[in-house]
Amino acid sequence: MRRNYGPAYTFPVAVWITVFFVVPIAVIFLYSFLQKGLYGGVVGHFSLAAYSALANSTLLIVAATTVFQAMAATALTLILAIPAAYYIARSKYKTLFLLLVIIPFWTNFLIRIYAWIAILGNNGFLNEFLIATHIINSPTQFLYNQYAVIVVMVYTYLPFAILPLYSTIEKFDFSLLEAAQDLGATKSQAMVKVLLPAIKSGIITAILFTFIPAFGQYAVPQLVGGRDSFMLGNVIARELTVTRNWPLSSSISVVLTLVTMIGVLVFVKLNGKRETA
Amino acid sequence: MKGSTVTIRNVSRQFGRFSAVSDVSFEIKKGEFFSLLGPSGCGKTTLLRIIAGFEDPSEGDVLLDDSSVLSLPSNKRHVNTVFQSYALFPHLSVYENVAFPLRLKKTKENELDERVRHYLKLVKLDDHIFKMPSQMSGGQKQRVAIARALINEPSVLLLDAKLRQHMLIELDAIHDQIGITFIYVTHDQQEAISVSDRVAVMNEGVIQQVGTPAEIYETPANSFVATFIGETNMLQGNVVAKNNGIATLSTPNCGNILVAASQNVEIGDAVHCAIRPEKIRISKSKPVSDDSQNCIEGKVDETIYTGFLTKFFLTTAFGQQLKVFKQQHGAKEASDAVRYGDTAFAFWNAHDGYIVEARRP
Amino acid sequence: MKSSSLKRHRISLFAFCTTIAFFYAPLLVLILFSFNESKTMNWSRFSLRWYADLFMHSRDLWEAFCNSAFIAATSASVSTLLGTLAAIGMYWYNFKFKKYVQVASFLPLIIPEIIIGVSLLIMFGVMGLKLGLFTVFVAHTTFCLPYALLIVSSRLDEFDYAVVEAAYDLGASEIQTLLRVIVPVSMPGIIAAFLVSVTLSLEDFVITFFVAGPGSSTLPLHVYSMIRFGVSPVINALSFVLIVGSVLLAFSTKGLYKYILQK
Repeated sequence: MRRNYGPAYTFPVAVWITVFFVVPIAVIFLYSFLQKGLYGGVVGHFSLAAYSALANSTLLIVAATTVFQAMAATALTLILAIPAAYYIARSKYKTLFLLLVIIPFWTNFLIRIYAWIAILGNNGFLNEFLIATHIINSPTQFLYNQYAVIVVMVYTYLPFAILPLYSTIEKFDFSLLEAAQDLGATKSQAMVKVLLPAIKSGIITAILFTFIPAFGQYAVPQLVGGRDSFMLGNVIARELTVTRNWPLSSSISVVLTLVTMIGVLVFVKLNGKRETA
Repeated sequence: MKGSTVTIRNVSRQFGRFSAVSDVSFEIKKGEFFSLLGPSGCGKTTLLRIIAGFEDPSEGDVLLDDSSVLSLPSNKRHVNTVFQSYALFPHLSVYENVAFPLRLKKTKENELDERVRHYLKLVKLDDHIFKMPSQMSGGQKQRVAIARALINEPSVLLLDAKLRQHMLIELDAIHDQIGITFIYVTHDQQEAISVSDRVAVMNEGVIQQVGTPAEIYETPANSFVATFIGETNMLQGNVVAKNNGIATLSTPNCGNILVAASQNVEIGDAVHCAIRPEKIRISKSKPVSDDSQNCIEGKVDETIYTGFLTKFFLTTAFGQQLKVFKQQHGAKEASDAVRYGDTAFAFWNAHDGYIVEARRP
Repeated sequence: MKSSSLKRHRISLFAFCTTIAFFYAPLLVLILFSFNESKTMNWSRFSLRWYADLFMHSRDLWEAFCNSAFIAATSASVSTLLGTLAAIGMYWYNFKFKKYVQVASFLPLIIPEIIIGVSLLIMFGVMGLKLGLFTVFVAHTTFCLPYALLIVSSRLDEFDYAVVEAAYDLGASEIQTLLRVIVPVSMPGIIAAFLVSVTLSLEDFVITFFVAGPGSSTLPLHVYSMIRFGVSPVINALSFVLIVGSVLLAFSTKGLYKYILQK
């Protein structure tokens, strides 16, 4: 019988992932239970201060904003992505259309955010255009609010929702829709009762690919958001680098990680249930 | 180096609580075409993998030419395998697949080429040898797998693949030509019987019988072997009398039956008696009976015409079903031919029956 | 028939067109204004001055670009190498810490990037590592590893284990089996893992933002600092160059993709 070379092959990754992922997460977890140092860092005393600080009203508002913005972005993404993916799946030019969806995303993520700043910014294209056509006299603030954050997040995650949806819709047997209509369903009834249940796994994947990164978002609110649209990710960074309250930064990180993991587990379970049904 | 003897000594293999092979012992002679025959899950593939070196036995020993090979990993054993899935290297051409073992040994290019072509010719693959495995048909892949397994000139070739009928005949010829030991794993009793020198019948991890095809067919060691190899009628009964090597069985469904009995069958034993359907004759009229003749009357409730023979299914008044195979002798149906629904007589000589299992009460 | 089928897809057609317009409009505006003489988003006349600026007067940007390329090449190589070995090790063998590696290497895929960035920053502090190219390399390798592992494993799904046994049966040693059979057969997966790792590394902003130090700015970090100063036509020009560059790169590697997708 062959010798068991598994441990030897896997050992480097085991070490790497332990030192640079598991231990750092454990350190964050540990820090969240310590006292904050005077000039950043931590002091080695057990303390629940970082967790009791979570109940702070401004933090709760940020948490609510985070959930709201992530949910709104996910919902908008799905509303656009499901029919768009359906159109691509039923089209003759599937490959071309898929390529059209993917190409813009070969540019850098920051360039895609920047494109929106260049359009919606105070001296951006839209303001210049509106002033030049005398519709307005002075620039309007389109950016630095919740809408901007949500729109840019939709822009960022839309292809990641379209692709899994497309691949499930493409496998769908469209004659089932005709069968449903033949049996007396209206077109929209057929869509809701036949198509949507059949592509549930695609929808769940799309939600996962949208909600999870949106929930932990940092860059978008940092660049196009304002006071009302800051998210937990921004607070983590601020507490770490500006306020230098490492325990608080850590406790928010712990909560964000746990919520994300629970969310993923729930969705994966939902998906699994469908496959065994 | 020609074939080796292979000795399996008290080999067992457990997977958790499941015992795939239990205490198996037998010996395969040098240069034999040996088959391991049994239904799927009987442990034959596990046994083959133990010989190849892919599995270690939980207990026991495997010897090649009287020396244990257990300490040798599979790449050091003079044993090569034709895999069930053929396991051709998908990234190498047919030629390179066969050349693989020689490349490992850094064989010189002209010797390598000569040997690769020789073995490809042996399996009748002279063209398409630079094609990729994905471009070959199943039968061609099988030939590549055989050539690849033979090129190392192993002393034992293990065949785990389901071989096609004509491939089997060709393989038999190759076996005669190169004279190494072949061990063939199959669940197809017809195949095993037709090519093997000897067969080991396995069931539930246990060897049921080892013998030549004729021994296994004519004198099955137990009712499993009797029913697994070919078709058979099994009658159960108790020995009520015994004289001149003929025992009289009292059966619940067929009345009294005469059967040849060996020394160790005694009056009072509960026995299983096997009678092959082709040894039973059938006729509409009652045959003239002799001393050792059995004759049972029954109703024909099914006939199956298969070309070279006709199968009759006869049910006696007590509900015992008997299979009878009758070969076609003439093209025309005789006037007294047995037909569906007829009442007919099935008869056979006591020496055509065989006691496969005897239990003393 | 034709009109009814058109009608049938009205909503989905609308969604598709909106999506495409939504995707391309901002990029087209960027491209258009990259050829604008004026520094503002107000069209004056055609000019290539921002391209001249980009190529001749943006040393920092090109330094960042070189950093990005270097980090992408090194971290993708290391993560592909380690990921491939681990994928092979975990696919066919069972051992004590396998479950642990499976879980630990899956979690980075679902944990928010910022957490990985923050935890690495703190970890580097604990270890006393100075932030710089090396810490960026470590961070990128860490977040590429799970993807490389996943991609190579999925390629191994199509692998018949009997092929490995056959190599061994025919006399190959462990290392010969690895180099002559396992690696060549999984090569499409290994290349895909490398390409995905390169892409992820070039794209990353958030994690790099936390672990980069002076002199180790990557292209996304540099773009970020430029964006913070507002609209700059040089970024417009850079956007166009990046779009053209990635499209050209994608089409030139088309043959490679075909190879990866082959069964």
